[in-house]
Amino acid sequence: MNLSGPDPIKDNRLRFDHFEDKLFNKTPRLPAMGWNSWNAFGSGNTEELTKAMVFKIKELELDKLGYKYIVLDDGCYHPERIDGHLKADEVKFPSGFKAMADFVHGHNLKFGMYNDIGTRLCSGAEVGIYRHEKTDCEDYIKWAIDFLKVDNCYYMWDNATFADPGNAKYSFAPNIRSIYFAGKTYPAAGYADITGTCASVEYGYIDYVTSIGTFDGTAPEHSPVGSRSSELVFEVEIDEPGEFELVVTYASGKKEGVGGWLQVAVNSDVVFDEMLPDTGSPETFKDSAPIKLRFTEPGFNKLRIMNHRRQENTLLSYSKIRRELEAAGDRDIVFSICEWGKTQPQNWGHKVGDSWRILNDITFQVGSDGNPGTAKWEDDYTTSITSQYNKAVIMDEFSGLDKGWNDPDMLVIGMDGISDTMCRTHMAMWCMLNAPLMLGLDLRRISKGDALYNIISNKDLIALDQDPLGIQAKRIFTTVCCTRPDKEYIRDNKRTDVLVKPLANGDIAIGFFNLDQESQSNDISMDIDMLISALGGKIINKDAFLNAGNFRIKDLLAGEESESSDRSFGSGILNPCDCKVLRITPLP
Amino acid sequence: MTTERFITELCQISGTDPDGIYIKGRKEGWLEAADEVSKDTQITRKIAARIIHMYLLKVLHVNDLDISGAKELKDLYDCRVCANHIAQAYMRGIMNAKDLKRDGGFLWFDLNSTDDDAEVMAQLSRLSSIADSSLI
Repeated sequence: MNLSGPDPIKDNRLRFDHFEDKLFNKTPRLPAMGWNSWNAFGSGNTEELTKAMVFKIKELELDKLGYKYIVLDDGCYHPERIDGHLKADEVKFPSGFKAMADFVHGHNLKFGMYNDIGTRLCSGAEVGIYRHEKTDCEDYIKWAIDFLKVDNCYYMWDNATFADPGNAKYSFAPNIRSIYFAGKTYPAAGYADITGTCASVEYGYIDYVTSIGTFDGTAPEHSPVGSRSSELVFEVEIDEPGEFELVVTYASGKKEGVGGWLQVAVNSDVVFDEMLPDTGSPETFKDSAPIKLRFTEPGFNKLRIMNHRRQENTLLSYSKIRRELEAAGDRDIVFSICEWGKTQPQNWGHKVGDSWRILNDITFQVGSDGNPGTAKWEDDYTTSITSQYNKAVIMDEFSGLDKGWNDPDMLVIGMDGISDTMCRTHMAMWCMLNAPLMLGLDLRRISKGDALYNIISNKDLIALDQDPLGIQAKRIFTTVCCTRPDKEYIRDNKRTDVLVKPLANGDIAIGFFNLDQESQSNDISMDIDMLISALGGKIINKDAFLNAGNFRIKDLLAGEESESSDRSFGSGILNPCDCKVLRITPLP
Repeated sequence: MTTERFITELCQISGTDPDGIYIKGRKEGWLEAADEVSKDTQITRKIAARIIHMYLLKVLHVNDLDISGAKELKDLYDCRVCANHIAQAYMRGIMNAKDLKRDGGFLWFDLNSTDDDAEVMAQLSRLSSIADSSLI
């Protein structure tokens, strides 16, 4: 197995500068809905349990509401390849995956599986797809899968979970002290422009620029909005086009913020993309060998010192899988990217996937047969409903029918640790955010008409998630001090948010979400003109709203409908962690 | 200590016949196929934590504790699939953490390391105490 370094990038569409360009002809599709084994059973899922879930989905008629994908998550494979192929764990899935797929398809449902872009799965099973993309994708097609979730553990070219922390050497450029170009030395600190907010200048005995690369988005600290990557850009002047030499004075490391991989671009052309020799420490500066650069334009040019490989390597790995699925005869497979937001997939996920996880897991206390597991409303890490919501709610610009969906992880409805109110609000949030709706509970615990069933089967909320217009709600107001509610990353949960979402039939949905574990003290009222203004050109039927004499208002949680000529819509007093979601129809 | 010996010792303290334990444990849900495949390798702390936690759940029917207290482990979230296993083994006092700065300044579970035989036996003994109390 080649672990000597990431593959060269031969297709410019995989480059940072081309993240907005298309890579595949993707089928526009709405967020996936179904059941995934992880939150319900962790590594303990079995054929018997999966069949029981299929029977319950049919009994509860959840498939008629859209819950169609039955996805086997981690823990289902034999821990080693057999003759180079993936194989089912013979105790958990004695009939094998094809039989499981046939069973699921026999019930008019769709079948999904799981793998990992690294050498192993997160559970440790040594069956990661790396260097087996062709074989595995051919097998997946033979097994007739309809959905593939691909994780990011044991990844070779980044310091991902279980990977060597020293892999950060691939993800960041070295510390840069200066460059020598065309007979002149240019200091990095104080002379060059630093783009983005990741890199910074370290002042000391030697001034240098560090953290040239991309923020790790796995944990909740950083906003997903704005430039998440940094470059060091020198503006250099040349008299005549021609070949020049560049020498970089650098110090390399193997940790987050300082690596050894350097990319150099002249304007938009990447001309160097390699690992530099190790200098021994992040403070030991040495000169690189001369790097030959060709300039085609006289005058001022941009010389970019950078490393976008954290994003590019991960995109390359996922794109290989998609390419092999298509080569093997892709049967309209939903491709679920699960790299936990680490490499800012909101920038590139649309090129290859149908959805992309935005953070680490929503819970680490998953269930098992007889144990529902535990979830939280709030937490200082990613493991809570509000941690996921707080990031997803400002990510609407990245999602859409022509792109894919931000994935704030699978639903935790039905787990211990959260009330029915929290579950209801969780469902409403995910539907307003156009998130994939993957149930994560043991469905044998619910019956038609009970509290959990009523939450997951709310047709009006599901209709928001599955609305064919495919526009994620935008946050237009929040009760904490904030100048850009649609962009600012807010982690203080003592607040109420107002979200608005345009719908295909010309209606709009308004969501009031009290994230606080105390009751909200005031009614929040939103004027129709403010809602229209906030939606801009995304609203389908602007004139109907402007000219409306009356409005039909449906409270999607209470199920009550009313008509009103009032041009503002209020939250009422919301209980702790509660919400109100209204669907507004303009009437003459 | 190898994974196999760990499982054998666990069987002995619980009075279980170790014959056919890999299949039995997998059917009961507290062992994984990988445990048999890797039976001759030294058991890491994260694997020991998984087996201990799943044994508590599946054999002893001991419910999970709240894991908030385990957040003091600086490397708890380094392992998404075993965070709860580690937290449960730690919160129940079965497996300890290293205090790298003393006085609780930097608690480190060190999930990929191994323990010496005496420490592993002490862990199994503590598990046995919980088993005894769960029978009361």
